[in-house]
Amino acid sequence: MSETVEMTKEVARGETILRVHNLKKSYGKLEVLRDIDLDIKKGEVICVLGPSGSGKSTMLRCLNLLELPTGGTIDLKGETVFDGGKPKNLDDLRRETGMVFQSFNLFPNMTAKGNVSIAQIRVRGRKKDAADERSIEQLTKVGLAEKVDEYPDRLSGGQQQRVAIARALAMDPEIMLFDEVTSALDPELVKGVLDVMRELADSGMTMICVTHEIGFAREVADRVIFMDGGYIVEQGPPAEVLGNPKEERTQKFLGLVLDH
Amino acid sequence: MGDFFDIFFNFQFMADHFDVVFKGFLVTLKLSVVGGAFALTWGLILAVLRQLPGKVLAPVRWIVIAYIDCLRGLPLLLVIMLLANGLATMASQGVIPREIGIPQWLGENDPFWYGVMALTLTYGAYMAEVYRAGIEAVPRGQTEAARSLGMSHGQAMRFIIVPQAVRKVIPPLLNDFIALMKDTALVSTIGLVEAVQAGRDLYSEFYNPSGWTLGAFMFLIVTIPLARFVDRLIKKQNEKFQRGLP
Repeated sequence: MSETVEMTKEVARGETILRVHNLKKSYGKLEVLRDIDLDIKKGEVICVLGPSGSGKSTMLRCLNLLELPTGGTIDLKGETVFDGGKPKNLDDLRRETGMVFQSFNLFPNMTAKGNVSIAQIRVRGRKKDAADERSIEQLTKVGLAEKVDEYPDRLSGGQQQRVAIARALAMDPEIMLFDEVTSALDPELVKGVLDVMRELADSGMTMICVTHEIGFAREVADRVIFMDGGYIVEQGPPAEVLGNPKEERTQKFLGLVLDH
Repeated sequence: MGDFFDIFFNFQFMADHFDVVFKGFLVTLKLSVVGGAFALTWGLILAVLRQLPGKVLAPVRWIVIAYIDCLRGLPLLLVIMLLANGLATMASQGVIPREIGIPQWLGENDPFWYGVMALTLTYGAYMAEVYRAGIEAVPRGQTEAARSLGMSHGQAMRFIIVPQAVRKVIPPLLNDFIALMKDTALVSTIGLVEAVQAGRDLYSEFYNPSGWTLGAFMFLIVTIPLARFVDRLIKKQNEKFQRGLP
C-alpha cells in the first residue's frame, strides 16, 4: 500500500523536484540572502561556490528550514512547504532532505550503527532490527563495515563524516544537502569522503553541495552556482562557470582560489 | 579531657541508644531517597518545559522561570511550614480531602510526606537549573543534526539532547543530593523523628548530646563517600575532556 502512495508522489528524473522563489533571509538589518531563485531537477548535482559570507551555507540551511527564511517560497515535489509565514510541513520537508554538516555532528553517545538507526526508528517508524540491518548496509556502502560498533570518538574525521552521510541516506531522502563537508578534514581524509559523494552522484541522487573543492565541482557537478553578497551571481555547467566565467566577481574569486 | 569525651563521645551512651538514633537515621535515608528521586524527576520536567520552543508556549516558559526563581529564593524551612500547615488546615476545614491534606500513604506518616513534597518543590527548582546548564552545554549541532533527520523538538530532546545533558550533570546533581540529604533535618520541625530529632529526644531525656555525635557519624558514613565519588566522576570527565573528546 505504502508503495503506491510513494509512487504517486514520485518525481521523474529530470523534472523539477525543488523550486525556490524569491528566497530572502536577514538577521536584523543584515541581509544574508537577498533574492534567490532556484529550480532543482531530480538527479541533478549542484555545487555552490562563493567567498565566505556570501550566503551559501545560509541558503542550504534555509532549504531544509534549519534557518527560517524571512521571505520567499519553497516548493518540494509541487507542494508548498514554505511561503513566508510559519512552515507548514516542516518535518515532512526535513524527512525528504538529508543534510551533512561541516562539523559532522554525530551523536557521541551512540555507536556508528546507533547514529544511523536512531532516526529510522523514531522518525520512519522502522523496527530496530530492520533499522540496524539498513544501517549496516548503508555503513558498508560508505566503506565502514568494520566500524559499525565503534563510537564516534574512535573514528577519524573522514570516517565520522562518512557515518554522517550514511545516517542521512538511511532516511531515504529525495535530496541531499552537503554543507562544506570536507572543510574540517585533514587533507588525506578528503578523498574518501569525496569518493562517497561521487558514487552517490553517479547513483542518481539529487545533491546540492556547498563546497570549496573546485576539482570536485568540475568533475561531478551538472551545474555550478557562484554566490556573492547574498545573490546568485552566475550559474551554469561547470565548464562554463569554472572555465569561462562571464562575471567579474566569479573571475576574481576563481583567480584567488585556483592560484595557489 | 575525660569530661569532654563523656559529653560528646560517650560511647557507652551511644551503644545504649544506638537503636533510637539508627531508627531515626533510617527515616533520614528513606526521606532522602524518596525526596531525591522526586526532585530529580521534577527538576528534569521543569528544565524541559523551560526549553519548549515557539511563541505560543512562551507563557509556559515564564511560569516555569517564575516558579524556579521563587523556590530558589525561599528558605526550605518556610516552604515546609507553609506546606504542612497549609495542607493540614485546608484538610481540617474540608477544602481538600483528608487523604490529600493529611497524607498517610504507604504506611508513612504525614510529616514524612510533607517533607517529600517540600524537598521536591525546592530541590526540583535547584536541579532544574543544573539540568538547564547541561542542556545548554550540548552543542547546537546536535539539535540541528537531529532536526535535519526529521525529529520533532520533543524527539530531539528526548533521544539526543537530554541523554547527553544528564550525563554531563551527574556530578552537580549528586552534590545537590548531598545537600538535600542534610536538609531533611529541617523536616523535624513539623514532627518527623529522623536522625537529628532522635538526638534531640535523647538529649531532652538524658541531658547528653552524644546521640547527635552518633547521628553525625551516620551522616558522614554516607555523605563523605558520596562526595569522594562525585570528585572521581568529575576527574574522569575532565580526563576525557583533556583527550579532546566531547
